[in-house]
Amino acid sequence: MASRRGYLTGFILASVLMALATFLVSSHALPPFALLLAIMACAGFAVIAQVYFLLHIDISEHNIWNTVALVAFVPLFVITIGLTWWMFSQLYLRTMPSIPGMPGMH
Amino acid sequence: MSHAETVVDPDKVRLWSEDYDGHDVISTRTFGFWMYVLSDAMLFATLFAAYGVLSYPHSYYTGPTPAQFVTPWYTFTQTMALFLSVLIYGWAMTSLKEGNKSGVINGLLGALVLGVLFLALDIHDVMRLIAAGITPEVSGGLSAFYCLTQVHAAHIFAGLIWIVVMLWQVARKGVTEDVVGRLISLRMFWQFQAVMWVFIYVFVYLWGYMS
Repeated sequence: MASRRGYLTGFILASVLMALATFLVSSHALPPFALLLAIMACAGFAVIAQVYFLLHIDISEHNIWNTVALVAFVPLFVITIGLTWWMFSQLYLRTMPSIPGMPGMH
Repeated sequence: MSHAETVVDPDKVRLWSEDYDGHDVISTRTFGFWMYVLSDAMLFATLFAAYGVLSYPHSYYTGPTPAQFVTPWYTFTQTMALFLSVLIYGWAMTSLKEGNKSGVINGLLGALVLGVLFLALDIHDVMRLIAAGITPEVSGGLSAFYCLTQVHAAHIFAGLIWIVVMLWQVARKGVTEDVVGRLISLRMFWQFQAVMWVFIYVFVYLWGYMS
């Protein structure tokens, strides 16, 4: 399970994905929304590679409860970040006056 | 008669296993530490939420935004320092499996040096920003930026202290059960910092730079 080759695989995958994301952003290779989707995909795959190859989160008998705990936490992350962001974006939309000299809402 | 209506005889019901289920000390502690790691991830989730609601154009109050001060390739060297540190720590753990004590110590030393490099690059970057007048009190957006990135740096600092302690313990006490358990916990802590760094690097530095 935990082998030199496994750690190396996780390292190479995560590094290549981060280099790709950095290259895409610094060269402005794509339109903004496509660029955002591309770097989000890079982050997602890099995290999956790290969680699988480094933290050994899998469905083997030895690690299944670590995996269950992580899966149980995922909705909490989504609620904490997603709902907070949604709540404040709606709040700004409805309450922020446009102040002269201030950048507008997006 | 359904299962729910079955009369239970309290004298005969078996509420728990009387057999030893094989929960050794290390795996119990490791699972407990994984619970801590996940709760630490919740702490980061709240900081990401705060950054999310404080990274609108109006959050910077006409002051500098990450698009003006983030240098992607400089921060990429931080990424590589941390990823290499985590890789070498992982190799120290495979040396531990092989019973190679000097491999463990060399791996911990390598992880320590690269972790110090990560922190030095971070401090250098912060000094550059402060010298340019880009400080946390300038705007809410910058407060959230500094809070998220420097809480991560504080975790790295704590991890470095822990690595020094484990170096001393491995050298002094040898590979005892307690030391092995602590090395496994530190492995999870250190790898978790790399996972959090992926999110910070992509969603704070890179996204901030492009928007």
